[in-house]
Amino acid sequence: MAGGGCVTLRGAQIRDLLDSKHDVLFDCDGVIWNGETAVTGAPEVVSLLKQRGKRVFFVTNNCTRPRENYVQKFSRLGFADVAEEEIFSSAYCSAAYLRDVARLQGKVYVIGCGGVMRELRDAGVPVAEEEDAEPGASIYTCPLDPDVKAVLVGYDENFTFMKLAKACCYLRSPECLFLATDPDPWHPLTGGRVTPGSGSLTAALETASSRKATVIGKPSRFMFECISSQFGLDPARSLMIGDRLETDVLFGSNCGLTTVLTLTGVSTLQEALAYRDSQEPQQKHCAPDYVMESVADFLQALEE
Amino acid sequence: MAASKCNVTRLTEALSRQLLDSVDSVLFDCDGVIWRGDQAIPGASEVINSLKKNGKRVFFVTNNSTKTRQMYADKLGKLGFDASADEVFGTAYCSAVYLKNVCKLDGKVYLIGSNAMRQELEDVGIRPVGVGPDPISGGQKDWANVPLDNEVRAVLVGFDEHFSYMKLNRALQYLCNPDCQFVGTNTDTRLPLEGGKAVPGTGCLLKAVETAAQRQAQVVGKPSSFMFECVASQFGLDPERCLMVGDRLDTDIMLGSNCGLKTLLTLTGVSTVAEAEANQKSECPQRQKMVPDYYIESIADILPALQA
Repeated sequence: MAGGGCVTLRGAQIRDLLDSKHDVLFDCDGVIWNGETAVTGAPEVVSLLKQRGKRVFFVTNNCTRPRENYVQKFSRLGFADVAEEEIFSSAYCSAAYLRDVARLQGKVYVIGCGGVMRELRDAGVPVAEEEDAEPGASIYTCPLDPDVKAVLVGYDENFTFMKLAKACCYLRSPECLFLATDPDPWHPLTGGRVTPGSGSLTAALETASSRKATVIGKPSRFMFECISSQFGLDPARSLMIGDRLETDVLFGSNCGLTTVLTLTGVSTLQEALAYRDSQEPQQKHCAPDYVMESVADFLQALEE
Repeated sequence: MAASKCNVTRLTEALSRQLLDSVDSVLFDCDGVIWRGDQAIPGASEVINSLKKNGKRVFFVTNNSTKTRQMYADKLGKLGFDASADEVFGTAYCSAVYLKNVCKLDGKVYLIGSNAMRQELEDVGIRPVGVGPDPISGGQKDWANVPLDNEVRAVLVGFDEHFSYMKLNRALQYLCNPDCQFVGTNTDTRLPLEGGKAVPGTGCLLKAVETAAQRQAQVVGKPSSFMFECVASQFGLDPERCLMVGDRLDTDIMLGSNCGLKTLLTLTGVSTVAEAEANQKSECPQRQKMVPDYYIESIADILPALQA
């Protein structure tokens, strides 16, 4: 599907759009919340969509929490009755991929944080234990676990050179799978600041191993396929709402969904228009069909 | 499009004599050319010492940022090479010179790198901050608010075995300021070690920082011509009278092509004749730069021509 025209949605158009869709996929950071603050009107929008008979899913590249923690966050921020089954994080989907698609026989060596470890455990995927630094162990002599058949890299605040070297050793075997939770180079924090993302760690490992990772998170199609395998989605009747053109909108485009950019997060209208007007086909796919100031713009249509 | 060079030519003894007569200075890469780890390539020290006796100047040009010029001179001496520190051009030294003379750095540099790099920077009067272990503490909110040294005007990335998320984060915070300069020592993906092993190289660390910051670093090391300019400006070299000897087509030979030097590929390291010939046959101008004038099995094979 070619990229969209960045049309600003108003009034009756919003109602018509919602009438034509059965399933609504929301990104989280920058769309329904920012940090620990819900976007004004977002909880009501989600509730009303469900009351109107729509199915709602949350699709996030953020791999730092297990789904259980997300349920608590939804509750804390005033979203009523969001169930674990409706939440698809890159951590959950990476575990699902290893278990259901790769059907991993063996262990996975993980560069990642607690959220990823927890999802892998919950999915029953064995994780290679990280030995605490033994005296004499160094980047030059790290012992390898012969049962490791996959490497998964994601955001890891405890990332070290040692982990990079170890992962690179495992990836020398061409049968060893190479997965990344998401490609985001940096993540926004409150106050306009940023922190390094999974994408930067993945880039280091790709360079070291001369291999390309299979990326689970947006804009790759896998997260959509994961939801669809459980809930049977029709792309033509699904709507993707996000704030990051290179991940959310490109994801929607890759999966054949109608895309909406909200301006409460990372990307700007100017950036969206630049993608729309670009000559390169790949860039055009980052242009959304529609643009809205905020998800609260759905309220009027829903409350009628 | 640049004219293709002749077929990759084996350097025979006769051609060796011709080649040596046509140059005054010989620049050698180190890893895979004169040594492998801590073992000298057999015959290499005799070649270097013989070249000097024959009145040639000899220089050592390496992308490895883990040693100072003096540390390299010590290693060279231990392995039987007649060499002094001022003949060595490693990226620890050259990055310091680059920051001083090209970036005209007025302020401190946030350094992801080794103590050797710290020393070379201090020797040219630049104060680095950040060397050594830097483990994570606090939570995400704290990382965006790490105290920044407001005298830092540049970020320099070299090989650092203490590389961590926190260092990556600090570099990112500094690089969010577009006026902060961004320099890398080299883009090699593997770092050869003593004992014949290898670990991920500086290129990997640099890629992580470039990706997070969405910025490209200025790279000092081969194939950037700065490494040659550094030697040439200090010793008054004429490129046409210089020979670059290396084992990597994408760094050593490309540097030679970029600077108009004669080039010799030795087969004791990374690249092969087959790769050179494939480059030669390709239509791509970039790959054409990675075709050496000559190749040789090992630099030891030059010895007969020198002793004749």
